[in-house]
Amino acid sequence: MATREYYFTSMTCGVEYATRFEILSKDNLKEIMPSAPLAGSRDRRVDRFWGSVLLLLPLAAFLLMVFVVPLAMLLKLSFGGAGGPFSAYSEIASSEVYRKVFLNTFTLAITVASCTVLLSYPTAYMLSQLSGWKRSVAFWCLFFPLWISVLVRTFSWIVILEKSGPVNRALLGMGLTSSPLSLLFNSFGVHVGMVHVLLPYALLPIFTSMKAVDRRLLLASDSLGASPLTTFGRIYFPLTLPGLSTGFVLVFLMALGFYITPAMLGAAQHMTISMLIDNFVNERLAWPLAAAASFSLLFVIVALVASANRLVNFVSAMAAR
Amino acid sequence: MTATRLSSYLAGSCVLAFLMLPVLVVIPASFTSSSFVRVPPIAYSTRWYSAFIADPEWIQALFTSISVAVFTTVVATVIGTLAAIGLEQSSPKLRALALGLIISPLVVPVIMISVALYYVMRPFGLHGTQTGLVLAHTLLALPFVVINVGLSLRTVDPNCRRAAAALGADPWYSFRTVTLPLIAPGLAGAAAFAFVTSFDEVVLSIFLSGVQSKTLPVKIWEAMRIEFTPVTAVASALLLVLTFIMFATVEVMRDHANRAGDQ
Repeated sequence: MATREYYFTSMTCGVEYATRFEILSKDNLKEIMPSAPLAGSRDRRVDRFWGSVLLLLPLAAFLLMVFVVPLAMLLKLSFGGAGGPFSAYSEIASSEVYRKVFLNTFTLAITVASCTVLLSYPTAYMLSQLSGWKRSVAFWCLFFPLWISVLVRTFSWIVILEKSGPVNRALLGMGLTSSPLSLLFNSFGVHVGMVHVLLPYALLPIFTSMKAVDRRLLLASDSLGASPLTTFGRIYFPLTLPGLSTGFVLVFLMALGFYITPAMLGAAQHMTISMLIDNFVNERLAWPLAAAASFSLLFVIVALVASANRLVNFVSAMAAR
Repeated sequence: MTATRLSSYLAGSCVLAFLMLPVLVVIPASFTSSSFVRVPPIAYSTRWYSAFIADPEWIQALFTSISVAVFTTVVATVIGTLAAIGLEQSSPKLRALALGLIISPLVVPVIMISVALYYVMRPFGLHGTQTGLVLAHTLLALPFVVINVGLSLRTVDPNCRRAAAALGADPWYSFRTVTLPLIAPGLAGAAAFAFVTSFDEVVLSIFLSGVQSKTLPVKIWEAMRIEFTPVTAVASALLLVLTFIMFATVEVMRDHANRAGDQ
């Protein structure tokens, strides 16, 4: 709890992480918001109830107008295909091409999530060991890129990875390759770009679980004669596994809906669902198909969020065995 | 154990460098003197900055971005702060429900919200206007404002409010003179976050902006797809620097507030 508080109060950017993290662990929702501090008489409680409803009203009206109604109209549109209510859905489900796009998006999200988790684990360990100014600098490096537009970061990667870019020049200079490698507009470019954007989201839950590990358990294991590898495999890793799986699920979910990075750094033939939706709307003007593809994606995401808690518990239960 | 620690420090430093350094590449790229983007440039000049300033389309985009971001900040901060105060006072059940609804725009993929808003705004003539962009950006900024202000409210000692009430202050007066100054740093952080959310937003803006309301990210997006000139690097560098100023302001202000609190 204390470490969670740390970025809740000290890092504005942590809020974005915290917000997304809270989605996965509903139990924590209560902790973000303070409970009513003043207990009063019944009349005052009723007053407070209507007061708070009044204060929440502008937000509720806004969300209704700009979020709920537009999505409801999109849902209605998805059942408005030319050949009956489910024609748009069945067209997406039956087409070999669209199935491939969905499969492609899922594979991409899984590989990106795996890469981020692998890179985050040692980094989170380092962060959990740091203190003082070193820790501040490390958190700056972690949080500053979160503020920068995805577009600027994508631009940077194009400049860095292009045929005559610094990476290729360095590889040629060291004699590691005889002709410049193509690092862009393929799955390598997409992975680099997406891992760069999503890494902090995987790192923070892992860091939180590492800070919560009781050091005495490691000492106990050590003094009982376990090798460092055994201590890691039997004690440290199982204890940090919930953070790891939370990070994985979080990155996986966010990667599913990614648009800018795959569109700019990827190959045109490796379409993702977001690119397909954009294509339906802007190139083919096939609105029911766009709506149906959107809701198929949302359905998967909601199902995953709903089962994420159970999933995470399941994984940690497996590990505890 | 030291070997483990050493290797994790090595890997961790590489990962942090991987996160931080590529972001900064646009700065040297924008100061090139040649007509193509190259890092590091062979020779430095400010000619592409002059080209940026001389092009009315880029300047127009910059001003559109700033004006949309300012309006988004105002709308999101006002609605979000009211809601955060309302949540603080409400029953746990209402709070959980409201919070779930407030957070939900972050669960739905942005591309989907973009398509839905594009579809709904066209018949109302809101598509392609700054108003449409402000509404859309506010939707994304609101969750951060509500959570951020909620966290600040939580740090306010309820005894301060009780003392004000005991001294005869009505709720509005005690809010203005006690709560508001105490949550000011959190409020400023929330506002800065709302500004940056709008200023950096790409996907919604691509769908909702028309010829009259192109924001800077939309213009960069179009320029990147058509021609890859160093003017794009200048625009990206401006986006980076403005965002950095907001980020640094928030950090410094928070530092200041923490120090004042310690004394």
